[in-house]
Amino acid sequence: MLQPRLLAPMRALERVITPSIRSSSAAIRPQSIFPRSLTAPLSVPKTTPTIPRTLLPFSQVRFASHASQGTANRHSRDPAGKRLGAKRTGGEYVVPGCIIFRQRGSLWFPGDNCAMGRDHTIYATQAGYVRYYLDPERHPDRRYIGVVFDKDEKLPRPRNAPSRRRLNMTTIPRAEPVEFQSDLVASIDENGTQVGSIEAVKAESGPQLRPGYMYREANWVIGRAAEKAGIVAPSYNRRDRWLAWRKRQARAERAAQMKSLKGKKKSSKKAK
Amino acid sequence: MAQCERASRPLLQCLRTTYIRGLPSVQARGFQSSAPASEAQVEDSQPFHKNPDPSLVSSPRLERRLMRQGVNPVGSRRRRAALQSSSNIPFEQLPYQCFQEARKVLLEDRAEKLNEIESMRQKIARVQTQSAEEAGGEQAQKSRLRAMQLHLERLKINADINDPLVKRKFEDGKGRAGSLRQFTGWRTMLMTMLPARIGDMSKPIYRFLADRKWREYRRKILVQRITQMKVTPDVLPHCDPVVDTKLYFNKRQIQPGDFVEAKTSAEAPKLDIQMFERGEKLVTIAVADPDVPNVEADSFDYKMHFLAVNVPISAVNTKVDLANLAEDSQVVLPWLAPVAQKGSPYHRLSIFIMEQKDSKPLDFAAVKANEADRDNTLLRTLQARYHLKAIGAHLFRSQWDETTLEVMQQIGYSGADVELRRKKVEPLPYKRRNPSSFR
Repeated sequence: MLQPRLLAPMRALERVITPSIRSSSAAIRPQSIFPRSLTAPLSVPKTTPTIPRTLLPFSQVRFASHASQGTANRHSRDPAGKRLGAKRTGGEYVVPGCIIFRQRGSLWFPGDNCAMGRDHTIYATQAGYVRYYLDPERHPDRRYIGVVFDKDEKLPRPRNAPSRRRLNMTTIPRAEPVEFQSDLVASIDENGTQVGSIEAVKAESGPQLRPGYMYREANWVIGRAAEKAGIVAPSYNRRDRWLAWRKRQARAERAAQMKSLKGKKKSSKKAK
Repeated sequence: MAQCERASRPLLQCLRTTYIRGLPSVQARGFQSSAPASEAQVEDSQPFHKNPDPSLVSSPRLERRLMRQGVNPVGSRRRRAALQSSSNIPFEQLPYQCFQEARKVLLEDRAEKLNEIESMRQKIARVQTQSAEEAGGEQAQKSRLRAMQLHLERLKINADINDPLVKRKFEDGKGRAGSLRQFTGWRTMLMTMLPARIGDMSKPIYRFLADRKWREYRRKILVQRITQMKVTPDVLPHCDPVVDTKLYFNKRQIQPGDFVEAKTSAEAPKLDIQMFERGEKLVTIAVADPDVPNVEADSFDYKMHFLAVNVPISAVNTKVDLANLAEDSQVVLPWLAPVAQKGSPYHRLSIFIMEQKDSKPLDFAAVKANEADRDNTLLRTLQARYHLKAIGAHLFRSQWDETTLEVMQQIGYSGADVELRRKKVEPLPYKRRNPSSFR
């Protein structure tokens, strides 16, 4: 498949060169009396000067139009870059969540105050300055990225030194836990629609705007509608065989009906 | 019952055929009738179900009743069921030829080891009586004596390690502290376990076996917890546990690193410190919390929740009740209930057993005068100041729960009315990076 295509330009080259050669050979040897059709194939190779090496292609060249043939379902030859690599250099200031390094696989590991994301991305968990370092005591050949609090602090820290931590918290008055509430309601004011909870007592006071922009009662109120209306289902009496027989009959009838419907459908399909 | 009957049927058949032939007076019986072994043991005419024997009981109901009394049944139920109908032949007289031949080999080996022990003792005595010049210098004599002592200890263990009876006793829970699968009662455990354990943990072989068993699993867990939760670099630079420490709150054992409810930990815990070496040691027991939030400094403080010095422990004297230590000679800082403010990260309450140098008592009055402040007492400082060495550790955690507020009010905690919230993180200002490359 490869050869004929490659030979095509060669043939073209030959076609360009040979007529001139032939004409020259004819000029040199006008005494030739044999018809051209017979002599030319025999005599030309002998006299043709060899084509210089520089004219021949060294490597096999494939132009874009050729290369794309048959590659439709293969992976693309030149995918888009994934923008991997360091996003923050050593010593740069980062805040929690700041991405420091994007990578495929764990080329770098998270050190102090850093964590590794789902796709091995290293990100900061504390505000501070980025450090790229090795920690031979922890692992002989892993490279780590860490974050330190002070600009001139160094990593790794000694193994027996207490870890430096920050609280990153403020105090507020303690809130009592919210009581259990029954249902969600929405209220509209100048700030827009707000969905919140109401107490169980208020829920019974009538329809209110609820999620989905519906004025309706709470779900549990709807569930007790029959009770409110005074509809009482007769309690099951296992001695009432007459009722049982009627129910059984009804079930059997329904089953027979369904069966007959099923058969009809099948037969009609077969008929088609 | 039916299952263990089925399981033990082949054994029963075997016993019947062999024993009836060998010992005509013995009758092997199944489970349908009362067991002869139990008849032999319970002489005071009490039926078996009234007074079940822990080594023979096989019905789950009786087992449960025994466990409620604080006595655990011995071995597996299958074994106990099989033993019910066996005729209690002593282990050494079991009528199996191969077994008896093997026992002979073991006995010979043991006699050999005993001889070696005797000769080694004589050698040691001889070296001890020698003067330093004769032995080739003070240092050489000392090191030689130490090597000989070590060899003697090893010989003592090797003499007994192949004894099947020793192995059986140890596995039946008579030689180790962790025999009770669940802790049923402090007092009952003391009553039931102590005599057996005194007899056993005083012997080097049982200490050796218990140590090996501890190192196989429980020590690994402990070391993992204290390193993964960073207790060792945070509280102390290094700890290599050599004593098995167990922690009990309200008679319930706490695994290393468990979360303990505030109400449960309001009372001082009990410790079970099992040494595996000979002799008695004086230890310092400290409970430190490295996670006290400090909002002003935006960091964490330390707090000493308990400190006691000069606590004697040995291989047979393992129980330490932190509430019952002597106020005037041991307790420097009495137990302070650990509480975690709402919203604060969990507190790691680390318990360290620290050996005092040369087992010499510390000067209690001086320690009490120096270490009166809970907040500014670091365990690292104590370790350096009094030449302590951590030989055991334990860890539990506490966090805000429903009972914390109650405990805070009990101990008069000042920060009960506030909760901690995460500070909002200001994002970095948007910076356009290298704009010329943007197309």
